[in-house]
Amino acid sequence: MATKASQGMAVPAAMPDSSGEKAVEGVPVPTFDWMGLSAEWGTRIKPGEHGLRLSDLNVGIYGEVPEVWEDQTRRPRGALPRPGVPPLPYNLRHKHQMWADSAANLYEEAIQRRWIPATDVPWSSLKPLPDDVERAVCQVCTELMQYANTEIEIITYWQDQMSYGYYEVKQFLATATFDCARLIEALRKRALSNGGGLGQESRGLVNRMILESRGGWTESAVYLYLMRGSYMMLVLRGLLNAAHNDAERMIYGKAIEDWARHLTYGYDHLKYSVSHQAGQADILQTLLTLGEIMMGAELQESTTRPALAIIFGGGIKGGRTVGMETYLHLVGDFVRNYLAVCDWLGVPRAEMLHPMLKKYLEY
Amino acid sequence: MSEAPVKQQEYDLDTSWMQHMGEWGMRAEPGKRGLTLAEIQLGSYGDIPEISKNMSGRPRGAGERADAYRVGAYGVRAKSEIWLQNATFLYEEALQRQWSSATDVPWHTIEALPDAVEEAECLLCTFFNEVEFVAGDVPARWVANTTPDFFEPRHVLLAQVMDESRHMDVFRKRALANGGGLMRMSGATSGFVGSIDLARDFTEMSTRLHISGEGAVLTMFRMGELFGQNEAEKIMYRLCAQDEARHVAFGVMHLRFLSETAPERREEIEFYLDEAEAQILSGVQNPAGTQAETAEALAILLGGGKEHYDEGHKKLLVIRRRQLKEYMQRVKTAGFGERFENGRSTVPQQYESAI
Repeated sequence: MATKASQGMAVPAAMPDSSGEKAVEGVPVPTFDWMGLSAEWGTRIKPGEHGLRLSDLNVGIYGEVPEVWEDQTRRPRGALPRPGVPPLPYNLRHKHQMWADSAANLYEEAIQRRWIPATDVPWSSLKPLPDDVERAVCQVCTELMQYANTEIEIITYWQDQMSYGYYEVKQFLATATFDCARLIEALRKRALSNGGGLGQESRGLVNRMILESRGGWTESAVYLYLMRGSYMMLVLRGLLNAAHNDAERMIYGKAIEDWARHLTYGYDHLKYSVSHQAGQADILQTLLTLGEIMMGAELQESTTRPALAIIFGGGIKGGRTVGMETYLHLVGDFVRNYLAVCDWLGVPRAEMLHPMLKKYLEY
Repeated sequence: MSEAPVKQQEYDLDTSWMQHMGEWGMRAEPGKRGLTLAEIQLGSYGDIPEISKNMSGRPRGAGERADAYRVGAYGVRAKSEIWLQNATFLYEEALQRQWSSATDVPWHTIEALPDAVEEAECLLCTFFNEVEFVAGDVPARWVANTTPDFFEPRHVLLAQVMDESRHMDVFRKRALANGGGLMRMSGATSGFVGSIDLARDFTEMSTRLHISGEGAVLTMFRMGELFGQNEAEKIMYRLCAQDEARHVAFGVMHLRFLSETAPERREEIEFYLDEAEAQILSGVQNPAGTQAETAEALAILLGGGKEHYDEGHKKLLVIRRRQLKEYMQRVKTAGFGERFENGRSTVPQQYESAI
């Protein structure tokens, strides 16, 4: 293979310069100026037992993920730049603003675990439920649809501001919004196929907090994953335990798989951010102090509280006793999980936990 | 979940929300393709508002709350701005046709290629790696800006973001799998006035992205059988073409809806098409374009080597003609075919001369 100098780098070139080549009538003389212009040649990645995965590609310069990615173009990581290309508004250009080591593998997992509500959910297993239970299921479906919608809107707000240097994260987040779309679809289908309908919309205390988190994607991730996401996971598990039929079991089970990936990314990113950015732990403390107030208020006033109690109790009557007890334990588990994750992140909250959340620890 | 101890305490249970729910008594049944989005367009849930007043992120048809926060700040609230008739079909098809670049592409069929051919393939992959996520970044931005009352088109756009992510990934994988590497970026997607990125209206963006840009790429992908050097590449282009066809269909059907429901915008759209057509053959965003260095790479791939460049170039001309022909067909389907008959468009002449 011939070599020629390119952008200051000695790189292999497949072909010599085309100057002096004979023109063929009707065919423009090619320049082949692009030949030999590679920052690193000779990469030969082979598929592993799980196929050819995104993380397998991180070899040589292609695996070098810089702390700061100054390039505001769409230059793929490892490709040679082209001088004079105007910048685009990629405002998140620091690794600590979005990175998670797990993003590439979570992306591949999301693709492998795809599911289709139209045909994978056994809709024929739906059977009429008592009216109060059906209403409660439909109300929870409506609330969860808004959770997922909020996740879509905040991710898509940030996604096109994320630099190409961290493309693994952009790609994982594409799977996350697709998961959200699918959950909205599945829950809407569930609500409209068993004699019910949608419930009443959420007042949106925490949705608002998430959507107004414009200080950076990390701030959004605090509210979206550490607070809302952790709670949502417990709700989904509770719903799975109390599912009335195979259709619901499938929907909640698949949603748990999906949201487990979202939380893994979210926690992983927050850990990376706290570990690599001075002062970030203090910022998270402040955000969580405010977030706990909103979360506590929503837990108190949200319609998911009585609706889940009715589902867990098998009706309004049971909802007033064992159903609400079960729900309060679910929230207690959420708070305990939340505190454990905060400890792991290096942002301990136990001593400062807001009373509106602390009260659930007795359950 | 921890085990709930049985207590005798009785709690208050507010059930007032039960009086404020959406329309009740829905019983959607699965059709022959399962329970699709089309099957749940029942009663008021199937009523699409011409202008959405939903600023709280409420699912369409849910009961409203007077005290809900106005968090939406949605810019796209008119149905004509984003709607299309077949969004539910495109979304369901996207779900059915998801694929994995890790396991669905037979990477083991790739064998060492002559140096020039490998370089040509890697240049093309670098180009696609760069441009594919324009079609991810930009639709994502518009999703956040569109009321959830129009969730069907939003869902199609989210499926597109997912598709483009996979395209970005598969072309990177190919570039790094056969002894090559990424090459120099094209810079074709930067933010010049009138670009996909900078459009401040959804239909303008969609016209450029879906009909012109992705349309040209779709023709290319469909010709992947011709320039793919092995089974892995042929399958890669085939699978990408499936996805791209949905994206183009979105743009065509949306433009058709707009032309039927907002005729006052037709002249404005004609100007977007004028601009797009001025670049369709020469623009660097078209990988087969006359000014794109990827066109040289394509000629090498189509010819089977640098020594057969002129033969490859002849095949490239076939691709260019096909791009123009398919473009005209799409624009006709969208309801703007007159421009090819009244002299406004030069594409028919370009088509005739592109031999």
